[in-house]
Amino acid sequence: MTKTWIIALAASVTLALAGCGGSAPGGTSGGAGAQTGPIKIGSLHPLSGSSAADGQQLENGAKLAVEAINAAGGVKSLGGAKLELTSGDTQGKPNIGQSEAQRLIQDGAVAIVGTYMSAVSANVASVAERNQVPFVMDITGDDAILSHGYKYSFRLQPPTMRIGAESARHLAELSEQQGKPVKKVAYLHEQSAYGTSAMTGFREEAERLGITVDPVISYDPVGVSDLTTQITQVKASGADVLAVTGYYRDGVLAAKAVGSVKPGLDAVYGVADGAFDLPQFPKDAGAAGEGFFDVNYRLDLNNPETKRLADTYKQRFGDEIRTGAVLAYDAVRTIATGLEKSGSRDPKKLRDVISSGSLPSMLVGKGPVKFDATGQNVNAIPVMMQVHDGAVQVVHPKEHAEPEARPDYPAAPGS
Amino acid sequence: MTAEARPVVPEPRWGGRSLTAARAAAVLIALIAAVTVAYATQGQPVVVTQAVITGILTGGVYGLVAMGLTLIFGVLDIVNFAHGAFLALAMFVTFGLVAALGVHPYAALAVSVPLLFALGWVLQYGLLNRAMGGPLQNQLLITLGISLLIENALLLFLGANPRSAPLPGDRALPVLGAVADTSRVLAFAAALALAGALWLILTRTRVGTAIRAVAADPRGAEHVGVDVRRIYALTFALGTACAGAAGTLVAPFATIEPTTGQLFTIVAFVVVVLGGMGNVPGALAGGLVIGLTEQLGGVFLPGQSPMLPVFVVFVLALFLRPQGLFGGNG
Repeated sequence: MTKTWIIALAASVTLALAGCGGSAPGGTSGGAGAQTGPIKIGSLHPLSGSSAADGQQLENGAKLAVEAINAAGGVKSLGGAKLELTSGDTQGKPNIGQSEAQRLIQDGAVAIVGTYMSAVSANVASVAERNQVPFVMDITGDDAILSHGYKYSFRLQPPTMRIGAESARHLAELSEQQGKPVKKVAYLHEQSAYGTSAMTGFREEAERLGITVDPVISYDPVGVSDLTTQITQVKASGADVLAVTGYYRDGVLAAKAVGSVKPGLDAVYGVADGAFDLPQFPKDAGAAGEGFFDVNYRLDLNNPETKRLADTYKQRFGDEIRTGAVLAYDAVRTIATGLEKSGSRDPKKLRDVISSGSLPSMLVGKGPVKFDATGQNVNAIPVMMQVHDGAVQVVHPKEHAEPEARPDYPAAPGS
Repeated sequence: MTAEARPVVPEPRWGGRSLTAARAAAVLIALIAAVTVAYATQGQPVVVTQAVITGILTGGVYGLVAMGLTLIFGVLDIVNFAHGAFLALAMFVTFGLVAALGVHPYAALAVSVPLLFALGWVLQYGLLNRAMGGPLQNQLLITLGISLLIENALLLFLGANPRSAPLPGDRALPVLGAVADTSRVLAFAAALALAGALWLILTRTRVGTAIRAVAADPRGAEHVGVDVRRIYALTFALGTACAGAAGTLVAPFATIEPTTGQLFTIVAFVVVVLGGMGNVPGALAGGLVIGLTEQLGGVFLPGQSPMLPVFVVFVLALFLRPQGLFGGNG
């Protein structure tokens, strides 16, 4: 009797959620017809749930961008119209993200930024496509979303596969330079599309360069509570370097396990890792995290404008800015610049201007934000970072490195 | 309320204990066989040793978390969805004390356990007791509401940034070539101590006898003069106090976030059912079985979710013994 009730309840909750998600445009292309008043930009991030810390950073970044643009006089070509950020909480769930995207579009959003999580972005991208509203992704690890031929999806972060390949090249180069060339890399990654594509990109390039990638160990980031056995496996394999791709909590677990097992590596090397380059990682991992590398996209602290944004962020939210917040900031700027150039509130015209325009980026890159035919920003590049004395620094390539910062290699972890 | 009689500990009826012992032996033999096969088939014995040690230590933690849950489930018939939130609350209390006063993380037990006990008492006495005897989904929804309330209050007031409360002098102890962190070994020891203490309370004290009487038959207990509502409150408070202890003990090696508790409770529900609902030593044993299954599963099936072998074992166990491995014989 009891069990029947519980099952019935669970089923009805699931059904209710699915009901919200089953959203068709139904001919109503939203309230985008509003020709006066503030211009709405939708922001979709995980504001609660296990990714809330990152989600709130991205949300704050988008907020700061809207405020900065409004303070500078709004969209001038539209009579100084102000921007308004309308936000939705995806809770990190694809179905919620989908229904929230639908809600924001019906509420009159001319474009959407988001969503930090690949599975959520995949759903939001299809909603945006159906409703013909531009969707500018700040962070989204899965490369497959842009392979569907969507016209309304754009992505600022570099492709995860490319970060993987770039990481392998940087590692080979650096280890060679320091006279300890890498022969064998063990790879530990979370098991979703993000971890797998980073690993694939890395392995293909590494093997081309004559480096063996073995063993490759994957884990479930949601349920994992200890990685000691996996690190022991790495130690037993005799690899020179451990490459890691994962999220924050599991990254700290990996660092702690490395500290305990002492696997005798030349380096622990993050590949688009979500932990090793965050400002609070050195504190949470303690001594175990010292010397960890990460190759990832990065906010450009050599750019005075980015530096100013980082200071504003700290003042306003009492927290160190993460790269994600800068990506969300750039995503909103991309949309605002598009509105300025198109001189129209029509999402379709906005899409055309975004796809052909360019914008000076606040990320480390080889040029302005500029999208190719699939909607990928072509100029974002990953850089190499390392934990030095409890702080994350950009150490390579030289033209983007922070002043005086040099990579330490080998950086035997757990010693 | 039409609660089926769920004994809190196996009834000492004739043959009951030896049957439980026989089942425990069977489980032990199965585990030893799995470990032996792992050693025989895997090239690197140190990996298997590490898997076994990690499995035992995380299993102890799962048992620790599941104890409070199983107590509440067994006596009150409440599926306590707020258990993870209580755990998170205790972690944040621990973090707060460590960060603000610089105390040793374990000293926070002196605050987290009484605090969670009081919270549990108040919630059961003031809120859940009103729903007792009503449809079971009412209580379930109340605990779900409490969990949303606590987790989102933590998120709202303390923010989502991950925090840590490291154990001073935490280091890796060498065990047969593998390693075990001091903090995890201590949490394991505490799990054993807590299971022992709860078992003694339940079997050797007047209050424990009253709790078991209420679990077996609330109306009957009332007829012989037991204050059932007080026993309900006390049991729920004991359960949340266990969550308090678990939260503080886990804090040194967990990343502390409002949602951290959920991480452990998914497994804890499996452990509760596997160990037999309401059976405290069973929860510890179930935790160990799950911890070892997860780790050995990782050795045998690399790259799979650890939940896969866990649920294979779970479904198998439910098929063979629907009342749980160490549940009553009824």
